Amino acid sequence: MAVYKRTYQPYSGTLTPAWSRFLIIARQAHRRVFDSRFLTFFFVVCFVCPAVGAVFVYLRHNAGAIALLNIDVARMFPIDGRFFFRFMGWQGSLAFLLTAFVGPGLISTDLRNNALPLYFCRPFSRAEYVLGKMSVLAILQSLITWVPGLLLFAFHAYLEGGAWLRENLFIASGLFLGSWIWIVTLCLLALALSAWVKWKVLAGALLFGVFFVAAGFGQAANAVMHSRSGNLINLGELIRTVWAGLFRVDADTGVSPGAAWMVLIGVCALCLYLLDRKVRAYEVVRS
Amino acid sequence: MSADRIIFEDVSKFYGEVLGVNRVDLSIPPGITTLVGPNGSGKTTLMNLMTGLVRPNRGRVQVLGLCPEDSERLFRLLGYCTQYDSFPRHLTGYEFLCFYLRLHGTSHGAADRLVWQALERLGMTEAAHRRVAAYSKGMRQRIKLAQAICHQPQVLVLDEPLNGLDPMARAEMIALFRELASAGRHLVISSHILHEVDKISDQVVMLTSGYVVAEGQIQAVRSEMHQEYPMQILVRCDKPALLAARVFEQDHVVEVKMHKDRRGLLVSTRSGDQFYELLERLVLEGALTVESVAPADEDVYSVYEYLIGSEGGGAA
Repeated sequence: MAVYKRTYQPYSGTLTPAWSRFLIIARQAHRRVFDSRFLTFFFVVCFVCPAVGAVFVYLRHNAGAIALLNIDVARMFPIDGRFFFRFMGWQGSLAFLLTAFVGPGLISTDLRNNALPLYFCRPFSRAEYVLGKMSVLAILQSLITWVPGLLLFAFHAYLEGGAWLRENLFIASGLFLGSWIWIVTLCLLALALSAWVKWKVLAGALLFGVFFVAAGFGQAANAVMHSRSGNLINLGELIRTVWAGLFRVDADTGVSPGAAWMVLIGVCALCLYLLDRKVRAYEVVRS
Repeated sequence: MSADRIIFEDVSKFYGEVLGVNRVDLSIPPGITTLVGPNGSGKTTLMNLMTGLVRPNRGRVQVLGLCPEDSERLFRLLGYCTQYDSFPRHLTGYEFLCFYLRLHGTSHGAADRLVWQALERLGMTEAAHRRVAAYSKGMRQRIKLAQAICHQPQVLVLDEPLNGLDPMARAEMIALFRELASAGRHLVISSHILHEVDKISDQVVMLTSGYVVAEGQIQAVRSEMHQEYPMQILVRCDKPALLAARVFEQDHVVEVKMHKDRRGLLVSTRSGDQFYELLERLVLEGALTVESVAPADEDVYSVYEYLIGSEGGGAA
């Protein structure tokens, strides 16, 4: 054996905190997202509804504009739980589309390229990897759901006064909590499907399938059984049920809030199980 | 001692019912250690075990005294270069290195400095801002190696780093391995290219079907096999017939073959030392003049052929 003298100098500089490293993945992925003109345009479109909402709120409190338009804005557009429930419905749909465009390629590309060992041969765990990939979607979804929702709520509360704020604090918590339930469900579904099929196009198709095909089956089941229990496999109806509870409105989905919560938790648990099975570093060894 | 070595103690790894490696005991010192074996012999599994990417079902692995599960400390010391070209296609070489270095926790400024150092070392500075997707095979191998060394690790685990490289690129890569090892690092390399393994390795680990069949310096491994596989020594001299007559008198000599040009002999012996003593005596007596003496099967290729044989169809 050759005689080797240790002469190299290992890196001894400062390190960033371990908790923040997953955000490197998000930063890199967002650059890619906004390289696409279509996705950039779509993201901008996602702010149209909050902007329109802000205009309604402004008009409601602007006596001059009310007199000029000669309409009763307060009666036409009451700013209450139902207003924010509709806001969430619209923004939630856009969040779903954004997830369908961005999510399917997040893990499938790494798995197809056998790139996971590259991530895990760093001080970087599987949980941090999944968290990093989730944060890619969650940051974008947050920017179009609860962030503009809470800004709108704060704008209205500012103009309406403290009494309205105190009476309607449940709307703020509904916006935040309701958005995060939707964000977590969408992120986990998109990542699990991306990891499961390892093919971006198919993962995207499956994501649409989980929502629309399942909803179709649910409708068919409702028609056959003359009940509304088919809505239990309709994720859109389930999240509306949960939101309705949070915004204290009646969504009329025929599903109890408890059942909706249970199914959504079950879906998330299944996605986590799939991610745990699929997001592994080692390459397949064949006999 | 273990703080200076990579140690496997009775390590087994199964993927379901498929054997990865079984009952492996190894102690790898600094320098270049090459893992040799046919496809599916367990080379990548051994590498994944020492990098903590897979956990053993049994036994214990330690890298310079660290448990591979302690990823925060382990990956400060260890760099891994997989056999796959697993690059995000849209990134440039610089961005590729920077991205993975930032996952190590390196700040932006330090990452920039370290990336340029690694690119310079690998001769990739001019291609730094080109997309990795447009790189040639040799450049991709070099950028992969750059990502393994850019955080200045003490242990480098390189899976098939010479694959697909042209002879010039291989020579450059081998020179780099030597340079890295000469600074006191551990380099664990897997390779199918046996004649190059011979050139670069301080020690080899031979694997087949998940078992280690030999380990150590290749000459030491070969000498342990003399009873089963007699050593072959090629002698070129002026009186091969005389030499043949004298060696046939020795108990340790198994076979002697005369060269077609009748200027040399291929001697098979169970004791190289005794044969060399005899040859030295004959030369000192002036009985013959020796042109050259060389062991004919004291290389990785021959040992591989003896121990692994036809299983190693993929070896070159």
